[in-house]
Amino acid sequence: MSLPRANYDPRRVCINPFPDFSLGTHRRTIGIYLAGALFAFGIWIFLDAAILSAHAKSPWGDKDQPAPIHVTFVDWVPGICSLLGYIVVNLIDKDRVKGEDGFGDSRAVWRARLILFIGFALMAGGLAGSVTVLVLKYVLGEYPEQFNYYGYANVTQSIALMLSAVILWIAQSTSSEYEYNLTL
Amino acid sequence: MGAGLRTVILLSFVLAVGFLLIILSCALWQNWLPLLVALTFVLAPLPNAVFPHCCGADEYATSFEEGSGPVDFGRFITALIVITGFAFPIVLAHSEIINPKACAMSIVGGGLVYGTILAYAAAFKQENSEYD
Repeated sequence: MSLPRANYDPRRVCINPFPDFSLGTHRRTIGIYLAGALFAFGIWIFLDAAILSAHAKSPWGDKDQPAPIHVTFVDWVPGICSLLGYIVVNLIDKDRVKGEDGFGDSRAVWRARLILFIGFALMAGGLAGSVTVLVLKYVLGEYPEQFNYYGYANVTQSIALMLSAVILWIAQSTSSEYEYNLTL
Repeated sequence: MGAGLRTVILLSFVLAVGFLLIILSCALWQNWLPLLVALTFVLAPLPNAVFPHCCGADEYATSFEEGSGPVDFGRFITALIVITGFAFPIVLAHSEIINPKACAMSIVGGGLVYGTILAYAAAFKQENSEYD
């Protein structure tokens, strides 16, 4: 190990450093665009399943036999939960959650964390609900393979919404640290 | 001046081709649903144009663009609309409402329209900043 450790950091745990994600000043912008794109992707993949179900043909190409299963309101519920959670998470003031002492009262921090918890619980509930719908309605239903797509689309929607919320949160909080460093 | 004029003519030509593709994708199959793609892509740059002016103090908003909520919201909506514009024909083609060829044509046309708008904004950005 004769490699010179130019930037040796005593706090480092891993030998290999993580790649430096410095996209410069555009990091926040890129993150927000990415979050919006993921959000739209999630919404549209579920709408695709819903529209496909509304125009579904029979799996065997037989005109007399209708499609055995459709997207109903049950499929919409996890998406609605995720969407509500998304809105709740993004309505929170992010400086409140960090809870610096002497900055606002402590009960506000507590309330902000409670609401954040409710938001993330709603999103996680949406994800769990979509997996539940996939398993109970489609996989255990013994339908032809093409109808499982409705369930997979539902799960994908929940995951995409969650990822979008996380990316949006990270993108918006990196910049505040930057500001914080600037002001000090 | 000549370069600017050439850019304008080229961009308008590309815009016309984009709209032509979208309208052809509708007219060839007698199904006018892909026309919504044109509407979507025309609406796409609107949030970025509108929301920075919602911040109140315009000088602050433009000079220190980081960390303002309305600007972020505008960008979020922009990404949402752009992905919607690409996803809409794919969804329609997937459920066999429109022809796959119409889907491809409307996506290419929409991309040309949006690319024209972006290129126009990028090419004539300096005059705008001078104006601000």
